[in-house]
Amino acid sequence: MQISTRTSNDVHIVSIAGSLDSGTSPEAQKSLDTVLTSAKNVVLDFSELDYISSAGLRVLLGVAKKLRASGGKLGMFGLNQSVREVFDISGFSSILPVYQSEAEALA
Amino acid sequence: MRHGFRMSVGAQPGAVREVSAAFTELAEGHGLSADVRRSINVALDELLTNAHSHGQTGSDVDSMTVEVKLDQESVTVILTDDGMPFNPFGLDTPDTTLSVEERPIGGLGIHLVNQLMDQVSYERRDGHNVVVLVKQLVNG
Repeated sequence: MQISTRTSNDVHIVSIAGSLDSGTSPEAQKSLDTVLTSAKNVVLDFSELDYISSAGLRVLLGVAKKLRASGGKLGMFGLNQSVREVFDISGFSSILPVYQSEAEALA
Repeated sequence: MRHGFRMSVGAQPGAVREVSAAFTELAEGHGLSADVRRSINVALDELLTNAHSHGQTGSDVDSMTVEVKLDQESVTVILTDDGMPFNPFGLDTPDTTLSVEERPIGGLGIHLVNQLMDQVSYERRDGHNVVVLVKQLVNG
């Protein structure tokens, strides 16, 4: 897994590539926690994300809860079919803001 | 013709990565679709981590055997450990309709496995937990 961050205006765009599973989630959690110390609005770029398991969903849920508590905004885009399926099965599609494109997520 | 692998992994965090790497190599060598490969990678992650966190009471699950078999129609994954009897599919289905605030963290892994695989089964056989997962290669 690789994580990289860029900013567009006041939005932090975090790209997560590879797999987000039990092995990589602790590192992802750490990186996202660091981003959250200074970011108010976060967009997650999943265009290079291969698959996500419940350990990864747990990290995303934590990010969503923290941003909601701090009044920040969260968006995500670029989900492949497998990631979308996991989101649908877990009900995350209806609780997390999933967008079709980066432009839409930033709008 | 049948293909696959069988490996024993210990109860350490790197185990999932080891199994996942072996499976990915098999999947790519046989041209499995990305969808099937990803679903099985997710299932392996859920069940290998689940066994390590639930099987620990009394007798440690210090190793688990993972067997993957591939034929024309399907991929079969067989996970065997000698920990305390534990049926991972015997748990309640989590409420996936709760909001972000209400939702407890965790509890989703087995639900994902159930939904992503075409067949799942558990049996206690000769002092071992045996979990079998089947994923069809062709939908429909």
